[in-house]
Amino acid sequence: MSYILARSSDNAILEAGECGGAVTSIFKYLLDEGIVEGVLALRPKDDIYDGVPTFITNSEDLISTAGSYHCAPTMVGDIIQKYLSDKKIAVAVKPCDIRSIEELIKRHKINPDNIYTVGLNCGGTVSPITGRKMIELFYDIDPNDVVSEEIDKGQFIVELADGSEKGVKIHDLEQQGYGRRNNCQRCDVKIPRKANIACGNWGAEDGWTFIEINDEKGQSLIDGAKSSGILETKNASEKSIEARSKVEGIMIKMSNKVQNAKFDEAEDMDVWKRCIGCYACRDICPICWCYENCELNKPYFKEEINITPNPIAFQGVRLSHISFSCCDCGQCDDVCPMDIPVSLIFDKLQKKYYNRTGYVAGVSDDIKPPLYSPDKVEL
Amino acid sequence: MIEIKHTLCPSCSVGCGINVILDNEEIVGTFPYKRHPVNEGKNCLNGRSSVENVEDELAFDSKVLDDAIGKLKSCNNEKITVVFSGNNSNEDLEAIKSLCESKGFNILSYANNLKNFDSVASYDDVENASNLFVIGNILYENPLIGRRIVHAKENGAKIYVNDDLENSPTSNIADEFTSLSVKEFLENNDFTDDSVILFNKVGSFEDLDLLESANSKLLPVYSKSNSKGALKLVDAISKEEALELLGNTEVLFIFNDDIVNEFDFDFKSIPQIISVSPSKNDTTEIADFVIATKSWLESDGSFTNAEDLTQEFSSVCESEKMGIVEIIEKISGELE
Repeated sequence: MSYILARSSDNAILEAGECGGAVTSIFKYLLDEGIVEGVLALRPKDDIYDGVPTFITNSEDLISTAGSYHCAPTMVGDIIQKYLSDKKIAVAVKPCDIRSIEELIKRHKINPDNIYTVGLNCGGTVSPITGRKMIELFYDIDPNDVVSEEIDKGQFIVELADGSEKGVKIHDLEQQGYGRRNNCQRCDVKIPRKANIACGNWGAEDGWTFIEINDEKGQSLIDGAKSSGILETKNASEKSIEARSKVEGIMIKMSNKVQNAKFDEAEDMDVWKRCIGCYACRDICPICWCYENCELNKPYFKEEINITPNPIAFQGVRLSHISFSCCDCGQCDDVCPMDIPVSLIFDKLQKKYYNRTGYVAGVSDDIKPPLYSPDKVEL
Repeated sequence: MIEIKHTLCPSCSVGCGINVILDNEEIVGTFPYKRHPVNEGKNCLNGRSSVENVEDELAFDSKVLDDAIGKLKSCNNEKITVVFSGNNSNEDLEAIKSLCESKGFNILSYANNLKNFDSVASYDDVENASNLFVIGNILYENPLIGRRIVHAKENGAKIYVNDDLENSPTSNIADEFTSLSVKEFLENNDFTDDSVILFNKVGSFEDLDLLESANSKLLPVYSKSNSKGALKLVDAISKEEALELLGNTEVLFIFNDDIVNEFDFDFKSIPQIISVSPSKNDTTEIADFVIATKSWLESDGSFTNAEDLTQEFSSVCESEKMGIVEIIEKISGELE
């Protein structure tokens, strides 16, 4: 593991990108050199709250993906395993994205040789509609006037077209039921160290990206981009490294506090009784890859129509199957039509499993999924 | 190359957004559309399955269209009935209505015994109501309005549910549950300005007058994506009137609807059935002429949802087939 600061040598990317545009430059290098067939990254569709995973095959289009989109809580693990598993790709990943990719690699659903992962440090994401509402309510700004947003120093900051900025403390927003998604508030993996490199602004000097190089592939990315002339780097100072570590520590501490406060609510049966058995949570789960052959789809498992689905049986099967591998991406919460906080119980059980075995889904080094791992035979 | 495109869900009148995933221009799945204000990325099973219906796509044959036009020419216009379905976009419905009016065809505008109400409650009204009166299993059948009922309960509203099913997701969140007729349900409850009655079914057409006279905001939830748009263009008829009309029909002309699945009627007693449809269904199975048309995924247009919000959608994939407006233009020209 080593640390550097990096920025683009391309003026257009430097201007459009976040913190020096290092991520966009690395993607451009990979595409221009023909090392990958495409880059999977977020691109705003209708506005900045509408980040959509986009597969870019021409490096000239990469500029449209530059910037950070905290109001786009997407997940790329399942997209890669379903639609891109036969291609050489590079992908921008949040910690929960790379955790799901790691779990899918263990299940032989993604070939690690086919994928370059450029990690993005993540303090959390905000649901787009929640984001717009909170900007109206707490910032007194028309959300349509916002040209960019960022999370920095404990604040959610919005920028307007005239360059002015306004920030509100995330803690204050979350006290009022706004701010980051519930799973993000609990998440204690803030730096995607399983990605080849992990990039972000924590500890970085203005106009530079702080990069943690996590493996040999990551080092080759940086070396290659530098050699091609698109990336400029310099050593990260001790002060930078310390500042970044401090931010990470504070965020993890906050997350642990939320976990302790929320995990008791995971078994609230009044909430679970809302389940309509639509299977949206299962179908969106990036780890739950076998759904087309899922036993839950078999006739013997079906409940009589319109009789309340039994969440104990339905979720019980899912919990026993994959809760050990839950990467707390919160997609199940996002898609539940009844707003059941599904991820809460999965995350709670993953943490229990961690306490027993030390296994963190998508972070620990086991070569097989939990329950199959030779490291856990004593269990 | 994979691509994700926005569209609207066609499976009921809630008006949810849905993203479609294309792989080399072939539709392969759906993806949450979290930026959509109605459903915020949440879709029910019907919505997520809606793109699969396209797999039963029909092939267009211009001879079938010519033969169907010939049949229309040979029949007395007063004996031709056109099914005016909420599955069609506002733009298609305008064209269908115009054709019917110019030729004097009968229009069968039916929406599960519901009709248009000029003023309806918004989804925000539902969330902010102090008392919610729910007729039908809305949490199960229209989950993304059901979600608003859940929010209302979390906001402190009292939930009264009237339905046949005592054990359902909707009855589970009820503070009071009854299985009464609509009339009895309305007589047994008091309504205020900030109460909302939501219903996706009624016993009869007459119940609608009773609902309208209740001192409450109303939100009828239709089963088709653009029923509201259809009923704003043409008044609904009751089930009895629809059955009577079907009984007097010699050519039944159906645009994008599976009416055979909807009515307990001997459709084989109708001499000729023409079905314009993007995909196979029970109606195309018995139709004499099946004219393939574009699905909503291949069309541009707009739907008006239950809360009277008109939303536009764009085609997510190309099609060589004729759209309904084009088919009608051709028919109108031939019938001149």
